Amino acid sequence: MIKLLKIEFKKIRTYKVFWILTGLYFVFLAAGILLAEFMINNMVNQMNKRFPIPFPHVAIYYFPDVWQNVAFFASIRYVLIFPAIIMIILITNEFTYKTIRQNVINGMSRTEFLASKLLIILIMAVVITVILSAGSFLIGLFHSGFNEVSLFSKGIPFMAAFFISLLCYMVYAFFCGFMLRNTGMAIAIFTLYSLIIEPVVYFFFRAPFMFKNTIYTYLPVNTVIRLSEYPAIPILKKMMGLNLQDHVSFVACLIPMGYAAIMIGIASWVLKKKDL
Amino acid sequence: METILHVEKLSKSYGKIKAVNQLSFEVGRGQVFGILGPNGSGKTTTLSMLLDLMPPENGEFSWFGQPPSKESRKRIGSVIESPNFFPYLDAVINLKIVADIKDKPYDDIDEVLKLAGLYERRFSKFRTFSFGMRQRLALASALLGKPEVLILDEPTNGLDPQGIAQIREIIALVASRGTTILLASHLLDEVQKICSYVVVLRKGIMLFGGNVKEVLAVSDSIELSASDMPALIAAVRELPGYISFIETEGMIQVHFSEIVNTAGINTFLYQRGIFLSHLAEKRRSLEQHFLELLQETP
Repeated sequence: MIKLLKIEFKKIRTYKVFWILTGLYFVFLAAGILLAEFMINNMVNQMNKRFPIPFPHVAIYYFPDVWQNVAFFASIRYVLIFPAIIMIILITNEFTYKTIRQNVINGMSRTEFLASKLLIILIMAVVITVILSAGSFLIGLFHSGFNEVSLFSKGIPFMAAFFISLLCYMVYAFFCGFMLRNTGMAIAIFTLYSLIIEPVVYFFFRAPFMFKNTIYTYLPVNTVIRLSEYPAIPILKKMMGLNLQDHVSFVACLIPMGYAAIMIGIASWVLKKKDL
Repeated sequence: METILHVEKLSKSYGKIKAVNQLSFEVGRGQVFGILGPNGSGKTTTLSMLLDLMPPENGEFSWFGQPPSKESRKRIGSVIESPNFFPYLDAVINLKIVADIKDKPYDDIDEVLKLAGLYERRFSKFRTFSFGMRQRLALASALLGKPEVLILDEPTNGLDPQGIAQIREIIALVASRGTTILLASHLLDEVQKICSYVVVLRKGIMLFGGNVKEVLAVSDSIELSASDMPALIAAVRELPGYISFIETEGMIQVHFSEIVNTAGINTFLYQRGIFLSHLAEKRRSLEQHFLELLQETP
């Protein structure tokens, strides 16, 4: 285990593309989260110009809502795609530069190769979640002090949900890169599917044409995003009676994990069968 | 001699094409073993199976008397086709990754880099290396951790004469240390210069295998010269196995249908009163032999 991690770490330590993309991801993530309130309230101001009854400003950085809101923004397709692309690059590089072949020649087993990639996904998901959790905590602390930190009722569940979203989504990306073996193609298809195909499917199959649980609900990427589907904006609930998400569904977490497990199973089977 | 590699009836097809067909051979410790064959004869496919890059369809092989495993591969250093490294990592990190996989210490990284003439460039990214340097780095990585066996697939392919010389020098040095070497090549000259044993492949079938010196010992023509050339020519026609002769610059080159004994020829001509001023065996080169072998079988 440690040995595999050592190897993986050497592969990325001086890889500029990896660090640039990771840096961009965090910049994008931080900017999105920190500018969200300002942007929403900007929209509110615009609306208020047209409506006679003024709509109050939202506050999204207070405990306990900050946990859910950060998890929500970090789980948006356009943000989540960053670590996925990084993962695609890391796996397809192994095929492009035939280093997977060389690793096996040098005495790595195919199972070890797969394990090393899954380990790096796990580590990345842990690190990103920890950083995000620390960030949420600091934001909350800055806005509401130690009142209602709600670590156990809101903090841990929503950060755990984000962790599972990120982990599973990166496994999807790994699977896509692993099967296609070509960086450009894998990124194009993965991005196209995540950002365009699934939303289009949603558009055509949404209620009321079908029951409440439509096909769309079970599409792989949606099951990932659905874990933190809505932000927590108490005012919406108070004023308009909108019943948005207030907890993380355990069952919902199992679905993307099931997808990820199936993908890992297929990848492992293919890796055993295929000539390198 | 201890058997390092035992290959038994190994076969592999790509669709209808039999890339390797019932191949069997054995490599002993310390041997420099050549696999010779034109492009597409199944050399790389054979090595790929021996290194677990693809499963054999039929047959089996063993390394060090044991069934193949990742542990046996750690004792083997290999250069298969192109050098495979991360272009964005420097030479040292690329070699450290290899050492990690092989469970070998980093101690001899400097040594192999010096041997490959890349020590000065050790912190340069692999991307910046020339073709020859890449090939030498691949060799350096194969030599890491002092492997018991070195597998080389076309190690000098595409290199300039200087690059070829550098690679061959390193191979010779490694062979002199007693490392077993398995070399696949389509270059006869290379096999002739480096190897002591050889198997010749064509379309996946082993045409012939054995000691390179024995192959070279096949001699079927002789150069002769004497003061009385017409008498010599007349006498030569009576020799057993005579086929034809060519006259060139004061000597004749005589072809025989079988291997001849020069001492016997000398005695025979001496008895006829012909005194030779020149007698030389004209050995067929491995190249001629190889081409003939390839043509003989339909």
